[in-house]
Amino acid sequence: MADLFDRWAPLRAQRDALFGEGINPFNVVMDEVLSQTEAMIGGRCTILVGTNNYLGLTFQPEALKAAHDALDACGTGTTGSRMANGTYYGHKELEAALCDFFAKSHAMVFSTGFLANQGILSTLMGPEDFILMDADCHASIYDGVRGSSAQVIRFKHNDPADLDKRLSRLADKPGNKLIVVEGIYSMLGDKAPMAEFVAVKKKYENVYLLSDEAHSMGVCGRYGRGVPEEAGVEDDVDFIVGTFSKSVGTVGGFCVSNHPSFDTLRLVTRAYIFTASLPPSVVASATVNLKIIKNGGVLRKRIERNSEQLHSGLSALGLKIASDVSPVVAVVAPDPVTALAFWRGLIEAGVYVNLALPPATPFGYCLLRASICAAHTEEQLDRVIAIFAGVATKLGLIDTSAPKVAARA
Amino acid sequence: MNPSAEPSPETLATLVKILAGFNKTGTELKPETRFTEDLNFDSLVVMEFIAVVEDDFEISVPMNILPDVATVKDLALAVDKILKDDGR
Repeated sequence: MADLFDRWAPLRAQRDALFGEGINPFNVVMDEVLSQTEAMIGGRCTILVGTNNYLGLTFQPEALKAAHDALDACGTGTTGSRMANGTYYGHKELEAALCDFFAKSHAMVFSTGFLANQGILSTLMGPEDFILMDADCHASIYDGVRGSSAQVIRFKHNDPADLDKRLSRLADKPGNKLIVVEGIYSMLGDKAPMAEFVAVKKKYENVYLLSDEAHSMGVCGRYGRGVPEEAGVEDDVDFIVGTFSKSVGTVGGFCVSNHPSFDTLRLVTRAYIFTASLPPSVVASATVNLKIIKNGGVLRKRIERNSEQLHSGLSALGLKIASDVSPVVAVVAPDPVTALAFWRGLIEAGVYVNLALPPATPFGYCLLRASICAAHTEEQLDRVIAIFAGVATKLGLIDTSAPKVAARA
Repeated sequence: MNPSAEPSPETLATLVKILAGFNKTGTELKPETRFTEDLNFDSLVVMEFIAVVEDDFEISVPMNILPDVATVKDLALAVDKILKDDGR
């Protein structure tokens, strides 16, 4: 009889062969968190350029205080589901704060962003309906649609013409259609052409649009409402899903909408009903940070500046960057072995980025995924660029005979 | 899939033609050829291949049916059913 875990033996063998005895990039431990941008890893002070802490709000003083107060007032956890004993006044305040933040009439808070996608996407559409999803969507969206009774059709990543073609084939079929995209895609940092998607949506009847703003909330748009705000098409995005675990600096997920019957989902969404609600301290810090983000124009300017610095600095070295300037700066390595050596060179020099390997990446890319924090200083990023230069030179990835280019123009 | 059902020869022939462009293992393409085991298709290749099938037949192949599709014949039967459901 085969062992329960035998079917993953090839994956284990492949990873064991790749990682060998050295430090495993998927088992990094932060022994001490020094700030939003630094931690002790392996006894070394390390600059963190691989978090999703875009606005640097994890130590935001007002949020810390609100969390401490909620902890003292309400305890460490709710011990129950939103539908039963797990809705405290704080959860309702947070939902009101989300409505205010996104200028939408309804909001539902989930325990994680993953659960928000899984719950909404498995529930929203029925057996007669269709879901058209961008092929590069996050695993939580894939898991969500897998649980849906609707028919699921993928379209080419960020390709409104391909979506149009696929929608046109369904035009004669009864049933509602839901388009699912993300504002910014996590691995490469590329942005959805949201206005073009909206234009395609409007060509057909009974089509809704859902956007996951996990990586663009707080970062894009004048008030940080993400790519729909930036593209000026918020009213045409029917559902926005997001998370508190990135720009908001804590954990949790949500969905907002203007649909008048939206609250029905509270009665039927299993990921909402059958899991414990967020602890009051988390809820309190998220509520405070939403207000900070709304008025966070200065933070957004800093992200923009920092993204520009890292993107242009790494490009100037001759490294291949997977997309245009964005808070995610993903350097493409030629193969897994080189990518791992690159990653280890960086961590040993005090820089943490994410290593991302296929099949978790588009195009089979091997990525050193760096992400920007508003709290990164110019000096920190200069140091990061210099360390990238040193490691890339040692690996023969960049031409050292070329004239030395300043890290920043 | 109904094991005794036979797909239309035209559908089968078209699928084999499309598959040739994705056949990196040099496996002989027969109705019983398996996508995962024989052709080493991973989820990304499946996605690209299905997109070409959709465009060629002008149909929508929902992701939901893919767990039941192991062989070329399975897919041909699924395509035939979609064509029939579309009234073609």
